[in-house]
Amino acid sequence: MKEPESIVFVIDDEKLIRDGLQSLLKSVGLRVETFASAHDFLAAKRSDAPACLVLDVRMPGLSGLDLQLKLIEDNIQIPIIFITGHGDIPMSVRAMKEGAHEFLTKPVRGQDLLDAVQKAIAGDRGLRKERSELAGIRARFDSLTPREKEVLDLVVAGLLNKQIADELGTSELTVKTHRAHVMEKTQADSLAHLVRMAERLKATLRK
Amino acid sequence: MQAAHTAPSKLRAVSLYVFAVVLVLTATYLSLVFQVKLGNPFWLLFPVAVITSTWYCGKGPGWVAVGLSTLSVLYFFIPPDRSLAIKPEDIPFFLVFVACALISNWLIGWRKSTEDSLKRARDELELRVEERTAELKTSNEALVAQIEEQRRTEAALQVTRTELARVVRITTIGGLTSSIAHEVNQPLAAVVANADACVAWLSREKPDLAEARAAAERTIQGATRASEVIVRIRSLISKATPERAQVAINDTITQAVALADGQAFRNNVSVISELGPNLPAVMGDGIQLQQVTLNLLMNGIDAMSNTNNHPRELVVRSELQDSGQIHVSVRDSGVGLSAEVLARLFEPFFTTRSKGIGMGLPTSRSIIEAHGGKLWAEPNQPHGAVFQFTLPSVEGPSR
Repeated sequence: MKEPESIVFVIDDEKLIRDGLQSLLKSVGLRVETFASAHDFLAAKRSDAPACLVLDVRMPGLSGLDLQLKLIEDNIQIPIIFITGHGDIPMSVRAMKEGAHEFLTKPVRGQDLLDAVQKAIAGDRGLRKERSELAGIRARFDSLTPREKEVLDLVVAGLLNKQIADELGTSELTVKTHRAHVMEKTQADSLAHLVRMAERLKATLRK
Repeated sequence: MQAAHTAPSKLRAVSLYVFAVVLVLTATYLSLVFQVKLGNPFWLLFPVAVITSTWYCGKGPGWVAVGLSTLSVLYFFIPPDRSLAIKPEDIPFFLVFVACALISNWLIGWRKSTEDSLKRARDELELRVEERTAELKTSNEALVAQIEEQRRTEAALQVTRTELARVVRITTIGGLTSSIAHEVNQPLAAVVANADACVAWLSREKPDLAEARAAAERTIQGATRASEVIVRIRSLISKATPERAQVAINDTITQAVALADGQAFRNNVSVISELGPNLPAVMGDGIQLQQVTLNLLMNGIDAMSNTNNHPRELVVRSELQDSGQIHVSVRDSGVGLSAEVLARLFEPFFTTRSKGIGMGLPTSRSIIEAHGGKLWAEPNQPHGAVFQFTLPSVEGPSR
């Protein structure tokens, strides 16, 4: 599957700034979409592609920080580059705590913005890859039968086939068959690979 | 002084008597000289002497003249001549003469004294009139001076009021530094972004002149806007005498809202403008009216800084009333106004804030009143307060 072209969303209530940022980003070959308000952005149909958000903190209606919280609430993961005036330190702290990718002060130097955007998109690309990998793993693991899952848990816990058979009150041969199915269904190359995949899944569940 | 005053008056009294005697002697002499030629002219001459004496010399010399004339007539002209004796047949004639002399003397004396008192009264009246005229003149001068003084005081008061409004304005603006920084920073951010974009388009291997030009044009727009913002803020601070021009109240409100925007944002307050369409202009000073609006907005934002259980909304509304007045209201949902606060709201130096100087509302009210309008406050339902003012529009009452 070929990765779709990355995109930068610019949200600023000030048209001149919006146009300037769009022009700047386009000049280095980035695809840009602009919005005059956070509401417009939420209402728009967004293409599924590696992206980042260039967001003015201070806007009438829904502010940049409000939008950040709303996106977290809706489980929309997209790196945010905040742009703020001087002296909004408490705001910056709040935004960073909520996981803002970058914080730039107005007026933003062009190169700083381009660097931040490139970094954010690269980061998003990585995250998206990881997310799709995880989704694949989860799908494969979800295809296991309850019995196979029990076997998987015990395998990952480091038990030998014999010990597993004792634990489940079944024969070693049966365990071996289940284990082969697990390896096949999860597309694990080795025991180590299977353990790594199981750990990654657990880690996301803990989150 | 007293002696110097009495000596001439005594001399004058004596001379009056001497004059009376001389008059009678002259009458006697003339009567004797012309006795034969004209036939006893004493009839005429003695009364003349008596009347003249009484008229010019007073009653005393008059009586002397009567006495002397009687003796002279008796002695010289009533037979036997050169004797004080009198024949019985001449007695009635003599008595008539004496009676005439007495009566005319009395009449003239009476007339004289009446005339004198009349003259005195007239003199006194004239004196009084003169005195009163002088008094009137003085009090008139005092009045003119007082009017001039009052005029000067009023002019000084006007200057002080203007200056106070400016100081309050600067104080208000002092609390708006972050708003102002934002106002200036926005167009500057646009300038930098577009200039950067322009350079980027020109630096490409194959420069895109159309994009570069568009970015350069936006740069110019941004710079122009920045300078407009600075002019606007400078005009708020500058020491200008109030002017009277047509003011579009909605522009005034929009600019005040822009200035208060930062404060509203920091306090999580949303400002909602409901501005009436096609409002007629008002006559007045745009800067001062903007100051009033800004003051009301800031108060409203401040009143909601501790509001948590309902939305922090500040509604600013303008409309034209049937009376032809423009009505502007600023409605908050904050702490509201207690009866005690409501009663003292417009007192100078009354404030409920730790940082306030308590001059905002009194100054605002005096500005609105100077524009021929009214400014007042009411509780808002269910929370907060409404501050509102009216201003006469240039159109007057609608038909």
